[in-house]
Amino acid sequence: MGMATANSGGSEGMELCIFDLRRGQQEGQELDKILFFFPADLPFSTQLSVIGLSEGLITFTRIFSPEAACELIEAERHSHVFYEAEPDIWMVMVVEKSKEAEAIWRIDALREVLKEIHSLFMMFYGPVREMLEKDPSGGLTRAHLYPFVMDYLSDFLVGKKTQLPSFRDCLKEFGTVQMLTVGREAAIEVQSLVRVLESGAGATHLLFTNLVSRLACVHDAFTCMDDTINLFAYAIQRLSPRALSSGASSWSYLRRGSTPSHVVVGPTFATVSVSDQFHHLPGNSPSQDNSYHVKRPLQHNRWSKGKDGFLVTDIWGTETGSLIPSTPTIWLQQTGERMYLCAYQYKSLTLILLVPLSSILNGEQGVSLVKQQVLENASLKILKVEEKLSKGWGGENAYHVSGYRYLLIDDDRNVSRASPPAKVTTLAKESLLAMSKLREEVDLEKSRSKWDNADRDKDLEICIRVKNNAWVIARTTRGKELYMVLERANETLLYASDAFEKFSDRYCGGAFSLD
Amino acid sequence: MSSSDSNSSSVDDPNPNPKPLDNQLETLNLEQGSDSIVIQNEDDEEGRQQDQGSSLNGSLNVNSDNHEPDDRIGLVRNVVWRRTNSEMEVDVNGPSSPSSSGYAGERGSSGVSEDDEIQEVAKDSALHGGFDSQAAWLPGKRHVDEDDASISWRKRKKHFFILSHSGKPIYSRYGDEHKLAGFSATLQAIISFVENGGDRVKLVRAGKHQVVFLVKGPIYLVCISCTEEPYESLKGQLELIYGQMILILTKSVNRCFEKNPKFDMTPLLGGTDVVFSSLIHSFSWNPATFLHAYTCLPLAYGTRQAAGAILHDVADSGVLFAILMCKHKVVSLVGAQKASLHPDDMLLLSNFIMSSESFRTSESFSPICLPRYNPMAFLYAYVHYLDVDTYLMLLTTSSDAFYHLKDCRIRIEMVLLKSNVLSEVQRSMLDGEMHVEDLPGDPLSRFGSASHLGEHQEPTDSPGRFREPFAGIGGPAGLWHFIYRSIYLEQYVSSEFSAPINSPQQQKRLYRAYQKIYASMHDNGNGPHKTQFRRDENYVLLCWVTPDFELYAAFDPLADKGLAIKTCNRVCQWVKDVENEIFLLGASPFSW
Repeated sequence: MGMATANSGGSEGMELCIFDLRRGQQEGQELDKILFFFPADLPFSTQLSVIGLSEGLITFTRIFSPEAACELIEAERHSHVFYEAEPDIWMVMVVEKSKEAEAIWRIDALREVLKEIHSLFMMFYGPVREMLEKDPSGGLTRAHLYPFVMDYLSDFLVGKKTQLPSFRDCLKEFGTVQMLTVGREAAIEVQSLVRVLESGAGATHLLFTNLVSRLACVHDAFTCMDDTINLFAYAIQRLSPRALSSGASSWSYLRRGSTPSHVVVGPTFATVSVSDQFHHLPGNSPSQDNSYHVKRPLQHNRWSKGKDGFLVTDIWGTETGSLIPSTPTIWLQQTGERMYLCAYQYKSLTLILLVPLSSILNGEQGVSLVKQQVLENASLKILKVEEKLSKGWGGENAYHVSGYRYLLIDDDRNVSRASPPAKVTTLAKESLLAMSKLREEVDLEKSRSKWDNADRDKDLEICIRVKNNAWVIARTTRGKELYMVLERANETLLYASDAFEKFSDRYCGGAFSLD
Repeated sequence: MSSSDSNSSSVDDPNPNPKPLDNQLETLNLEQGSDSIVIQNEDDEEGRQQDQGSSLNGSLNVNSDNHEPDDRIGLVRNVVWRRTNSEMEVDVNGPSSPSSSGYAGERGSSGVSEDDEIQEVAKDSALHGGFDSQAAWLPGKRHVDEDDASISWRKRKKHFFILSHSGKPIYSRYGDEHKLAGFSATLQAIISFVENGGDRVKLVRAGKHQVVFLVKGPIYLVCISCTEEPYESLKGQLELIYGQMILILTKSVNRCFEKNPKFDMTPLLGGTDVVFSSLIHSFSWNPATFLHAYTCLPLAYGTRQAAGAILHDVADSGVLFAILMCKHKVVSLVGAQKASLHPDDMLLLSNFIMSSESFRTSESFSPICLPRYNPMAFLYAYVHYLDVDTYLMLLTTSSDAFYHLKDCRIRIEMVLLKSNVLSEVQRSMLDGEMHVEDLPGDPLSRFGSASHLGEHQEPTDSPGRFREPFAGIGGPAGLWHFIYRSIYLEQYVSSEFSAPINSPQQQKRLYRAYQKIYASMHDNGNGPHKTQFRRDENYVLLCWVTPDFELYAAFDPLADKGLAIKTCNRVCQWVKDVENEIFLLGASPFSW
């Protein structure tokens, strides 16, 4: 069974805190630093000691490393993963290690979770710092962070357990989009749909397909990949047909294919546990205070499909004086522009339209007009695209290459492709552990060359034959990374290299071939 | 370079009854207690505890700039006074003190900065010794004028600290320990903060920096480094530094902390800076520091046998270990029945002897502790240099064996001279280790038959050392260098550096690459991986681990994989062919 589990609650599980180093500098005011803490029912003294240690080490490491403060504390029993989300706003995740419980982590994968929480938060609410400036008491920020992060974490909580990406997820990459390879015919259809959309509302759009099977992004008109990644993550979590129909969370990164034993968090339970947490919010955190009107975009079961095919939610409330739900809005990371978020779904195809607020003068009415235009001009095309894509889609195992377990990452484009999770689970634990370690090594090399600024695209090739005779291979070149596990016994180094080259030639356009 | 005198007994004044360490420590403790230093210490202690007190409120105040101006002035003033005092103590007590802990003391303070690790990678003119070529390295502590407020201090690439569990500084690689009291307290606070949470901090990472912690009872060791060495390597280095300290003091020093947690250990280690700095220097050239194996000087089988025979003779007469070494290489080694010598102990012992100038000048009898053999007790080492690089160590448990060991040495020396062992040793030093250009079996190799190693080669006729310098490309198939470690023998052989690994920087870089691949192969709870091939912009590294041996080989980064593998096989064969000459066989410490 997949992810490592750890008890949540008390010091034995996962802890996650967000704090602002600029706050609470006076003695006795330390609590003011805390913007978020999970589990919230921990005594303040414990919360403060986690934050105190983090703050202490941030200050300490800056003595030697002013350009990059503390990123990680490895202790015997816990790992503390640091992420400076915004200047002086830190997120720290503390996870317990346990060999027996398979709680063996790859630090960068955990940091990606922190990054995703923050960028999704930014997408819906803008920067934390701005929110703090708007309400210096911190109440507004806390009122937003608590439900948001708890809703996010509810996908990782199974009962009282926390499931985080562990060594078994070493052939997955957070923060990337998995692209669907589209056949020529389908591509033509997509192009023609895109043309229609572009000529119409002037909206930016994203086209997703197969949200259920960890999705593939077919087309996007963004220049900023970060926004695509955020929307992609959100779409999988809350907009996929599965999320809509079953009401269950579908944390696609972490879902283990269609393993039936994998129990998805029931929405009811998640809600209960979340509200449980809220009863223990610190006294100085007014998140229960009704004076803050907090939208919870990550809440489960709040989206449904309307009659016209557009997805609707009441998360953003209703427009004053009417019963029509307000259209959600998001911030684009790069331009800081505010957009209406409209999602249209036809079977497995999900179309996301982003309409600049500035381009629509009369609010919801204007949005309806845009939607109507799309329906009138594009619904036929959408139908066709869906048809072509479904036909061309090879199913869950479309990207399986027999004999190989792999992960291919294009860092420049933030896209990845990997062996189907169900296939990865066939690997021996030892092979997965070795791959996870190898990835950590490569992570370190990458972060070093980042600080060196020298050759960002470090060329590196590592082939290791593990004790169980599996080969674990990593190669990085020109911003691309390819990881591979080959478990066939009695292979020589030359055989393994050869298999690697063949894969590279056939599936990566020879990007990793040396000759 | 100032050299305070040796604490080890000289010929004229052998100290047949050195006090047990406990007594020594008590003496020092009393001295300290009767000294006004201690008052100042307690003030410091309070200051530190205040810091701790506030840390209990949840915020660990770690701010290197948090000294009040007044405090800092006070600190500096006291430090100056203390320093003078302690040096005075050394002068007065040094030469004849019966309470000596037995090391040859030397407090070097050269201003030469070639070992500055500021921007060392980029600095082409750095003069680091690599593997054997350590000529340019100067021993002793440098930059004593620095402290944690100095920018230069903060930019050093690799710091090592030893401190007590109460936060008192014991040793710092750079800067004056006393000036680093505040910093040391900070390190202590971090360790105890995590400890109070029921955990133990191992590593902190920030950008290119790593802070590695090691707790050994009341002794804390910390390394702060941006050298890109793996955590496991840095931790191993801290273990060795701790071992070096135990070698000087034994683990019974812990009792001092039981009696007085604020015990100040610095006087006990006064003058040993040079031992630690030399050990730290070896972390960048001596593969023994991470391989946990020792290396032998290549010698004809008969020559080594002759040396072994005479050492055997004395070992039967109450000598626990008889070791003949040339620099860091073993010529021969004999242990009494059932006594086994760990390679790490040999490393620490030879470092201790070689780094202390006084051992060179006269025969010495000095208490030492072998941490892996028995960390609680002192042994007594009779040390005598037979020539400039070759020295004999006779270890015994008896504190009054000086004259007996002196007699043994005279016998050994006579036999060694008569059987030409010493001249063979010197010749071997000139010839060096295996040369990759000599790798036999390749028709393309220009030097295929030129090896000075090999059964068909007369040891007296070694063309190796007359090899003309050439703008070479190393051995066949782009082979640049290799290290072969015999697991059973706990010995390794490292080839001579050949072109293009010429400069000390290149040698150090290769050393670090080996270190990294070693850690990568062994970084696993379930035993080592089997094979690793690693190619980056600098090298192709091939590592092969079997139950019998480990091979690490470095090739040109453009080397062909298939040829490299074949070459590795040939290297293994070659090593087996000449193992009589490069390894000490049958006398392995663990093979009894």
